[in-house]
Amino acid sequence: MQAQSLELWTQSEWVNLVHYKAGTWPGSWRSATEDPRFFLADNGSTDPRAELQATLAAFTALATLADDHAQCRFVARLAWLRSKLDLGDLPKPNCAAYQAFRQEVQARHAVLVFPSYYLNSPSSMFGHTLLRLDPDEDGGGSEYLSFAVNFGAMVDPSDNGLFYAFNGLTGNYPGQFEVDHYYKKIREYNTGENRDIWEYPLNLTPPETERLVQHLWELKGVSFAYYFFDENCSYRILELLEIARPGIDLTSGFPLTAIPIDTVRAVARTGLIQGKHFRPSQGTVLKQRLAAVPDALHDTVIELGMAPERLDDADLQALDPKTRARLIDAAYKYLRFTQTGAERDPVVAQRSFRLLQALQRHAAELSQSDVTKLEPGASPDLSHGSRRLALGLWNEESHDYLTLGLRLSLHSLQENRAGFPIGAQINLGNFDLRIEDDGNIDMNRFDVVDILSLSPRDAFFKPLSWAIQTGVDRQWTGSREHRVAHVNGGMGATRALGANNLLYGLTTARLEYNHGYDTRTQPALGLRGGLLLNAGPLTVNGEVATEKFANGEARTRVELRHNLRLSRQQALHVELQWRDQQPEHTTNIGLRYQYYY
Amino acid sequence: MKKLLTGILLVASSSAAFAEAPGGPNCGWGNMLFQGNSGIVYHFLASTTNGTSGNNTFGMTSGTNGCSTSGTLTYGGKAMVTAMMDEFSADVAVGEGEALTAVAVAYGVAKEDRAAFASLANQNFAVLFPSESVTADEVVANLEALMKADAQLSQYVI
Repeated sequence: MQAQSLELWTQSEWVNLVHYKAGTWPGSWRSATEDPRFFLADNGSTDPRAELQATLAAFTALATLADDHAQCRFVARLAWLRSKLDLGDLPKPNCAAYQAFRQEVQARHAVLVFPSYYLNSPSSMFGHTLLRLDPDEDGGGSEYLSFAVNFGAMVDPSDNGLFYAFNGLTGNYPGQFEVDHYYKKIREYNTGENRDIWEYPLNLTPPETERLVQHLWELKGVSFAYYFFDENCSYRILELLEIARPGIDLTSGFPLTAIPIDTVRAVARTGLIQGKHFRPSQGTVLKQRLAAVPDALHDTVIELGMAPERLDDADLQALDPKTRARLIDAAYKYLRFTQTGAERDPVVAQRSFRLLQALQRHAAELSQSDVTKLEPGASPDLSHGSRRLALGLWNEESHDYLTLGLRLSLHSLQENRAGFPIGAQINLGNFDLRIEDDGNIDMNRFDVVDILSLSPRDAFFKPLSWAIQTGVDRQWTGSREHRVAHVNGGMGATRALGANNLLYGLTTARLEYNHGYDTRTQPALGLRGGLLLNAGPLTVNGEVATEKFANGEARTRVELRHNLRLSRQQALHVELQWRDQQPEHTTNIGLRYQYYY
Repeated sequence: MKKLLTGILLVASSSAAFAEAPGGPNCGWGNMLFQGNSGIVYHFLASTTNGTSGNNTFGMTSGTNGCSTSGTLTYGGKAMVTAMMDEFSADVAVGEGEALTAVAVAYGVAKEDRAAFASLANQNFAVLFPSESVTADEVVANLEALMKADAQLSQYVI
């Protein structure tokens, strides 16, 4: 057996094709899937050698098996084994299903696609990745017809949030690849969820892309356990790229978590990315069109959506044709935007149609040049690293201490916003150790989840602002410091002051478990408000918050935080805190160096 | 005459429970103009790593009624119009756009004829879309009639 002498089953191409990972015992293997349809040997999921032998044997089966023949199902394995071994005269089954698939999925190039964040949902800041397969170099202007390759969990939409989270963390959801037209993805992300899409063309050659598509066919209908944090959409995409271009290593850098935006950066580091393309969401386009309409007419944009016949009024008739065209365009786009996620409403459909008719009459005034090129902000791959190390020096009342911090992910309000949406914060797993001047080490704080969503409201966009946080922090209670477990949240509203500044206010609620109280579990209600100012590399965030507990305790805090960007991956943070927790108040000043990676 | 073909690549058998049933939200009404988008289920932390909720066929595609089918369909301009009524109508109104291009490509319209296709559609907006209740099938019939009557574009419709 040539395969024996070459020990082909130990080669990385084979290991990748069958999705093996080193098992718990040295020398043992486990495939990421246990789906029996993916294996030809009974113990194939744990024995690369047996699977290889069974594959070679199955290739010689009778051609009459047709579409069920191993040669038709395991096209990529066949191609690779042919390149390594002389397989002689194999039967030639007719692979009609595969041929039909290849007829349809004409792929010569691949694009890595990153739908970015949606408004008001900081949790979407982790992103998502999929692949797009293009038939030729420039897509021929038909990217809509290209195929998207998406690995997703098969989620039961009726699952409630907790159940969903539990299943997602424990791998209870099956995940599968789906191949579908890209326009559906555009519709889903750009329109349905209002997320900008970033597209990163890859420099995979046509033969490499071919290998990827062949392997996709092998994975058709094969279920993998879907884990939200590590073996998720992005991780499987990395595996596909490793198969497309043997010799690159993308997955080993993600042993514990695969944050989609980090996977994009990993692909970039490997030298696979050769460009960038921005596909704005419905909301982004609308904002841009509104910007082209004079402010004085913004109310009219909304009126037109309610009553298109306003266009016949003298004041709007008198507008110059270009302004009128832009007004109609914005009104149509705004009306459609308000219908996102809604059932078809015959009245709205009729108004939309009226506006579209008017738009058609003004099409000449809406030439390409009029639609100014959107200037997107920094792309998500240029954001600061997902993890953060921090070293702090603090002075609280009369004593000094050091803090050492590790944050597993992702971004705080005051940090360098390049590549992130404004007013969004999500931190998962933020640990802070405190080292006193006497050498005593203790926990300073631990945020399990810390989310803040401050999306500005205006006449057109009306998101709520919200916050939720849970973890352990320090509170002065009865003249001494206690570490308290808490969960708190808030709801409110945010206004934009100019392009880069926010003013926000939230009503808050808090539940705290504090040893310093007679009744340890205490609920509180409060208010929280602040200002976020961005000036070049400096961000300043001032916040005032007050709370009253069920047991009568009241707290007020005033905080001023400054964040100075030193480079993409480094920042200096200066914080001033004044906390009034009757009977006494404390002042705390800190300087923190933050490094992102 | 190049036509794009399409076939259902796979209907996930093990996950029938998750598959979208014909008659679901994207059927029937789906070919009406100005359809509302189906709502998205918002999960508190769901979006950290998207699950695709619901429909999990490996393949696709839209029949004339927007339903998933398991047969093989000719994937021409007709299906594209059906699938993207909103985008297509807006592009026709302004005379350019990706949805309009995609429909042209699906009809096999050569690059050099696409401007003519766009302009024909734009100038005949009222013919293509006589009312807001027009169905995709009617739009397609109107479009093909216009193309047949056009010297440059008649070659693309049989």
